[in-house]
Amino acid sequence: MRRVVITGVGLNSPLGNSYDKLYESLRDSKCGISYVKEWDEIANLNTKVAGVVKDLDFKAIPRKFRRSMGRVAQLSAISTSQAIADAGLTQEQLSSKRCGLAFGSTMGGNETMFEYVPEVKQNMSFRGQNSMAFLKMMSHTVAANLAQMFEIKGRNIPTCSACTSSSQAIGAGYESVKYGMSDIMICGGSEEHHYLSAGVFDVMGAATSKYNDTPEQSSRPFDKSRDGLVVSEGSGALVLEELEHALARGAKIYGEIIGYATSCDGSHITTPSKEGMEHVMRSSLEDANIEPDAIEYINAHATATARGDIAESHATHTVFGSQTPVSSTKGHMGHLLGGCGAVESIICLITLNKSFLPRTLNFKNLDEECAPINILGKNVQRESEVVMSNNFAFGGINTSLIFKKFKA
Amino acid sequence: MATQEEVYSKIKSVLMDEFEVEEDDISMEVNLFTDLELDSLDAIDLMVTLDKELGIEIKTEEMQDMRTIQDVCDFVLASVSVDE
Repeated sequence: MRRVVITGVGLNSPLGNSYDKLYESLRDSKCGISYVKEWDEIANLNTKVAGVVKDLDFKAIPRKFRRSMGRVAQLSAISTSQAIADAGLTQEQLSSKRCGLAFGSTMGGNETMFEYVPEVKQNMSFRGQNSMAFLKMMSHTVAANLAQMFEIKGRNIPTCSACTSSSQAIGAGYESVKYGMSDIMICGGSEEHHYLSAGVFDVMGAATSKYNDTPEQSSRPFDKSRDGLVVSEGSGALVLEELEHALARGAKIYGEIIGYATSCDGSHITTPSKEGMEHVMRSSLEDANIEPDAIEYINAHATATARGDIAESHATHTVFGSQTPVSSTKGHMGHLLGGCGAVESIICLITLNKSFLPRTLNFKNLDEECAPINILGKNVQRESEVVMSNNFAFGGINTSLIFKKFKA
Repeated sequence: MATQEEVYSKIKSVLMDEFEVEEDDISMEVNLFTDLELDSLDAIDLMVTLDKELGIEIKTEEMQDMRTIQDVCDFVLASVSVDE
């Protein structure tokens, strides 16, 4: 069987814009969430906090590519550019038909949509509309723009499934390499910060509002005093490569993907299903051909909503019991939506390479309705060989990825 | 009535602000496509911006023969003159 390794990573997040910076921020228990002053002007939006990406030079993306990118695609272009440089891929390798792309986001460019639609509707005319708006708004804007910028000629799989967009991208990339369709897959996802995303969760009562005055305490996964998620932005990109291909070119290897599963609850549009979550974790273990006790750390999806955290804790407990260390890094940075699966996968690589398990920031007292899983309230220095990353999305879409420390 | 100089100045500022073309690369003779490396979508967006700034409406088929900044200037001046 072909083995799949990770040979490059790139990211931008509320916790920093590189693998090293992300590690340092987690190690130092930094929080990337802040008050969004502009949201004061929006009536009936209760949540006022978000994790925003800072210090990026968008002009570094050549205009001929940037012209069709909204912020969501620009964040992806920068993370992907970083991952490709990190992997040391040549243009010839990138443009080989054996190199593909899998990338997603919940929405296309929200900001563009907010300018375009009201103007057209108000005037009942397309006069004055430029040719780029649709290319920035369309559902697969990220995958389409990345493919042209990096001249990708292999398969292109846009994975636009909200909070599982980037974990499904990594899964699709893993399966493409494992089953021989590609030798290299560039995978990830992204989301841009916008009050539309925050408002959607706010209306459903799923966004935090009690901690607007103390933003760094607002995201509290699994804690009994949590009151909802923090909507954030960011992008993660990973270069997946077939092991022999990577070894032949002397690539640096961050870790190996040994298991992946995706499944659907097929029930309620938003209510999470403990059974669905349990099923996807067991399927991923089965794909990796390992038992639950082989998993030494779990990066939970846990967004700090009431129902989601409870369901996930019970699913995790049923499969793994009370000993396996679990944390949700959304306490540090909020919920990156389409970007979370990729950035959290990179955190899993950090756990393998830095012998470091991050805490759940702001977690103090476990909600009595949660199952008694081993949620890390403090950082732990510990070597791990095999770790899991789980994500769940609206529509009952579930993903589970398993990463292993690389050994030849 | 707009002068050629005024229209050229407007086109120049749009090319610099919206299309990030360097000032030194702009002159009446330059070809939008071969010299400035714009493409057909950029050409549409150039005219959309000029429409917003100068109120000249243009159909896609009318742009097919435009190559140089001089061509764009001539078209804009003719359109303004017709409108008046």
